[in-house]
Amino acid sequence: MSTPHGGDPDTEPTQDSTTTAASGAGEVKSRVGLRYTLSQVKRDTTALIGIYIVGFITLVALFAAIDYYIFDYAIAEAIMYDPERDPDEVNRLLPPVGMENQFGSGVLEHPLGTDHRGRDIFTRLVYGTRVAMTVGFMATAIGLVGGTLVGAVSGFYGGWIDDVLQRFTETIYAIPFLVLVIAFMTAFGRNLTFAMIGVGITAIPVFNRLIRSRVVSIREEDYIEAARAAGVKDRHIILRHIIPNSFAPVLVQATLQVGVSILIVAGLSFLGFGAQPPTPSWGQMLSQSRGYMLPAPTFSIWPGLAILFTVIGFNILGDGLQDALDPRINN
Amino acid sequence: MGLARYTLWRVVQAVPVLIGIITITFFLANQIPGDPVQTMLGPNPGQEQVEAIQARYGLDRPIHERYLSYLSGVAAGNLGLSIYYDRPVLEMIMLRLPVTLLLMLSAFAFAIATAIPLGIISAKRRNKPADHVSRIVSLIGVSTPSFWIGLVLIIVFAFYLGWFPARGLVLPWADPADVRGAETQFQVIRTAAHHLFLPMIALGTLQMAQITRIERSAMVDSLQGEYVKLARAYGVPESTIVRKHAFQVAQLPVITIIGLGLSTALGGAVLTETVFEIQGMGRLIITAINNQDYELIMGTTFMFGVAYVVGVIITDIAYAYIDPRVTYGDET
Repeated sequence: MSTPHGGDPDTEPTQDSTTTAASGAGEVKSRVGLRYTLSQVKRDTTALIGIYIVGFITLVALFAAIDYYIFDYAIAEAIMYDPERDPDEVNRLLPPVGMENQFGSGVLEHPLGTDHRGRDIFTRLVYGTRVAMTVGFMATAIGLVGGTLVGAVSGFYGGWIDDVLQRFTETIYAIPFLVLVIAFMTAFGRNLTFAMIGVGITAIPVFNRLIRSRVVSIREEDYIEAARAAGVKDRHIILRHIIPNSFAPVLVQATLQVGVSILIVAGLSFLGFGAQPPTPSWGQMLSQSRGYMLPAPTFSIWPGLAILFTVIGFNILGDGLQDALDPRINN
Repeated sequence: MGLARYTLWRVVQAVPVLIGIITITFFLANQIPGDPVQTMLGPNPGQEQVEAIQARYGLDRPIHERYLSYLSGVAAGNLGLSIYYDRPVLEMIMLRLPVTLLLMLSAFAFAIATAIPLGIISAKRRNKPADHVSRIVSLIGVSTPSFWIGLVLIIVFAFYLGWFPARGLVLPWADPADVRGAETQFQVIRTAAHHLFLPMIALGTLQMAQITRIERSAMVDSLQGEYVKLARAYGVPESTIVRKHAFQVAQLPVITIIGLGLSTALGGAVLTETVFEIQGMGRLIITAINNQDYELIMGTTFMFGVAYVVGVIITDIAYAYIDPRVTYGDET
């Protein structure tokens, strides 16, 4: 997928003038930080495509969120349709209209057709980005923070703390994600907040494993020992040295994890957990379309394509970041 | 050296994880709002009825007592009673588990059978058209929700083309008398395969894509290994190199990713079963949740955990078995 920057790995270190040696780590820290990441990503076509897709979806989601929270769908009604309310307010079920029916009549009021309540599918797709992206990012953030804390503490201290924490995350990991989130939401509440928390919890083991293995290998590095000998506190070492040093792999994993979270939450909404009607969400739209697969197959197609497009964006970006940030890759 | 001992060791290691799963599911199930007795008896039950039901399902005892008795019950193979089905939980699970296992196994078989050749071709023809196609297919595969693949397959292959049935599953070992239109066991197997095809692809695509990606990068690494260079220098034909030298080593990360994919696949089974209306473990847990059937929720969640743990143990053993550092001494 990737056209990595093509640089010869042997010449890499000399290019690293962006050394963030503020914490006294010297040249070891050269592949760390946002500026380095950006400079690498700019040279990687794949990562750039990923950035464009993710950026586009993020903007759409922001627009949807602003319209929802601030204007109560006023913008949607002005330029498109209300994504939640039935157009004729009678709450009756209508046969969904696919776009092929519209081409026949020569009218293209609804570019992607209407759903079983007469609502415009395109509008609902646009507003469905809000749920997908909110849950995707928030769940990843929860998993990232939780997993980083658990992994860093576990790897840094070792011993019984490590044992207890690792057995705990192993146990979480042993219950299939979807089943765990469903059980979690059944216990605490079937709404988006608990969907986010639940999906976030399933991501904790992923980041834990990543951070812990980095910490265990970094712990023995000379500059960490030096910091310790100089009397720097453990907390400071973890926060200022170890976590920043794991920036690249964590960034890659987090990007991929947003995609995974969006897939899980779409599955949850499909099963009736997650966003509740009438809030537009892609998984829920797919669930509603099941009753109309024969008369209006396109109703089932569009929300799936929206999910696919979004998740592909994050996967391309993740892959591209990995190639861009991994100096060993040269193929 | 003892593969049996290694297996035993892995099983022993799994015990704390299993206890952990029971603990998590128990406390989650007890957190569920609502009253299962009310669900059973309606809004205004008589006091005696309520007490009788509470006593029968042990709901009148304090939570720590119930936890300990549930734990010892599970150890003895008793998962409690399903309030909704009015049958032992284990009996319900034993009825549904084969369906889900069949679905899972066929999905992984499909995934492995397609991904390994795809990954090898990709690695051998790196950066050529075949490689690009295979990488795009696997990228789409890891980015597509399995239930949507199921919906699209139903629309195309069941509704439009009419090649496969849209719902249900038939077990290949079912009695021909119970299967419509089948008189012999062979016909039952054929019906079963017919029903299994679409759900298998829906559930297996993600695994296929993931395995292809890993297979490709593992083969790329492996083909650049010193031993491969040496074999080339000795003039060993390329096909022999791929088959004999590079392949086995490259399967180690593949096994790891299969183990990691188990969790996603088990969750995917819940969705696939919903799409194709298959009465397996996935539908069982959804039914249990929708009816606030505590013991069935706990039992099915626990069973999903067990399925995952057993799967991981099997992949670990396969890893130890394939790893050349373990088996190399046995070869020429």
